[in-house]
Amino acid sequence: MTDKIKTKFSLGRGIIWVALTLFSAVQLFPLIWLIDFSFASNTEFFTSNLLIIPREIQWGNYPKAFTDGHFLLYLKNSLVVNTLAVAIVLALSICSAYAVTRMRWKFSQTAKNIILLGMMIPIHATLIPNYMIYDFLGVRDTLWSLLLPYVAFSLPQGLFLAASYMESVSKEIEEAAIIDGCGTFRLLGSVITPMMKSSLITVVIMTYLNNWNEFMMASTYLSTSKWKTLPFSILEFTGQYRANAAVQFAVMTLTAAPAILIYVLLSKHITKGVSMGAVKG
Amino acid sequence: MEKMLRDKRVIAILIAPSLIAFVFAVLAPILLSFVYSFTNSSGIGRFTFVGFENYSALAKDKAFWNALLNSALLAAGFILIQHPIAIFAAWLLDRIGGRAETFFKSAYFVPNIISSAVIATLWKYVYNTNFGLFNVIARFFGGEGVNWLGTGRAIWSVLIVLVWHGFGWGMLIYYTGVKNIDPVLYEAAAIDGCDDKKMFFAITLPLMRPVIQVNVTLALISALKQMETVYLLTKGGPGNETQFVATYLYKQAFQSGNYGYGNTISVVFVIICLLTTLFLNRLFRREG
Repeated sequence: MTDKIKTKFSLGRGIIWVALTLFSAVQLFPLIWLIDFSFASNTEFFTSNLLIIPREIQWGNYPKAFTDGHFLLYLKNSLVVNTLAVAIVLALSICSAYAVTRMRWKFSQTAKNIILLGMMIPIHATLIPNYMIYDFLGVRDTLWSLLLPYVAFSLPQGLFLAASYMESVSKEIEEAAIIDGCGTFRLLGSVITPMMKSSLITVVIMTYLNNWNEFMMASTYLSTSKWKTLPFSILEFTGQYRANAAVQFAVMTLTAAPAILIYVLLSKHITKGVSMGAVKG
Repeated sequence: MEKMLRDKRVIAILIAPSLIAFVFAVLAPILLSFVYSFTNSSGIGRFTFVGFENYSALAKDKAFWNALLNSALLAAGFILIQHPIAIFAAWLLDRIGGRAETFFKSAYFVPNIISSAVIATLWKYVYNTNFGLFNVIARFFGGEGVNWLGTGRAIWSVLIVLVWHGFGWGMLIYYTGVKNIDPVLYEAAAIDGCDDKKMFFAITLPLMRPVIQVNVTLALISALKQMETVYLLTKGGPGNETQFVATYLYKQAFQSGNYGYGNTISVVFVIICLLTTLFLNRLFRREG
């Protein structure tokens, strides 16, 4: 019955296809253009065609991008910084969510509201003072100067998601575990965390999306290449190869690739994470 | 058990790291900003307290008001252009179903996953006067090449990039809203002889109201907080034409060496964001 009604009343399927294809063309064309010309030679850029078939595919653009863009070092830094940030945010979200939803103390709501306040604060308002603080403490240009703000600004959302999940779940299993003599920390690690798996995946994804592409804080607090992250590959490279657009296109394609790969692998979770994070954030 | 849940030591261990992170990375910097906002600090060397001088200068600063205007323009771009298309696309996705639904949904979201650094550099090329995509298209239609990031035009070019880049995110939130509508409603309406247009306006839109409110709030806040892409695309220029509040405070502190004044902008920035969030939450809560 459903099918019949749908065909009878639905907007012509042709029109739906045309509209959706048009939107996706607008969203994807600049990226297709990017990949296409990343295989061209620099002289071929001056064309009146939207896309071209390079006379000879310039694979050589990529190795240049790979080595001169410090690609591997910056990719490694991005992975290290992000993995640590995600792990810490996850642990702190679980602990603090338990403290404010289950533990009984006078200031539990106050503590929660204070941390959630972080969601409203514009990150970039802290660029100047944090620069001064890190400079004073001598942690500028270290891993800490990235990790600390990344964790602090992802934590409010993590706490929010974890706490709203804990509030909606019945306490019976926990009570049974406590009566059996399970301590708070073991309870958190082996009873609560496994139960929260799906909402914790959301925390992981939101934290990852917040920080993977972050650039302003990194460029303000870092000065040497030791801890620079993936976005720097492009920016340092554009300075170096100002005249060679084709190689720049290769480096852009290369730095975008890891994020796209992660998206393809996790797109289902990311879709869920974004919608949950938005509705609850 | 009661005793265990009241264990002060355990509570302290659980909550302290989060509070410390908040104090150290959020609260302390803002308080420091507040103190420095009353000084003429230049970052290095001595400085003196100048009272409310920076604040009164800010009230008269045309570039600052222009930055707020740019945020308002961006918010308008999000709400009046991006969101209607996003709702429409989300609705179409729901109707088309199957693999096409998954494919198009992913296609719309891909730009979002790519860093501002790539997006900004890519669009610099899209706007390139010689071989940029926009001018190739313009010439194809017999027009002339234009400097898209030049005076008078730059802010619109910046807005196009931001509206384009954020499309997938907004669309995905609307998509979840559309998916939460019970299909039985459409079936009942179809039996009553409703056509597509009527169903969209009588069922989809009204039921999406809470999602639209969330999305509008997010759009306004993100229009205010905008920084990275703009900074990498134009650095706020030419002049201060494409400045947003965050790029402007950055410029004042790190390029012009006006730390005191930069901190003043930071403090006002925090206040504006807090007030906007509180105002929108109250507005929509009262309505809902």
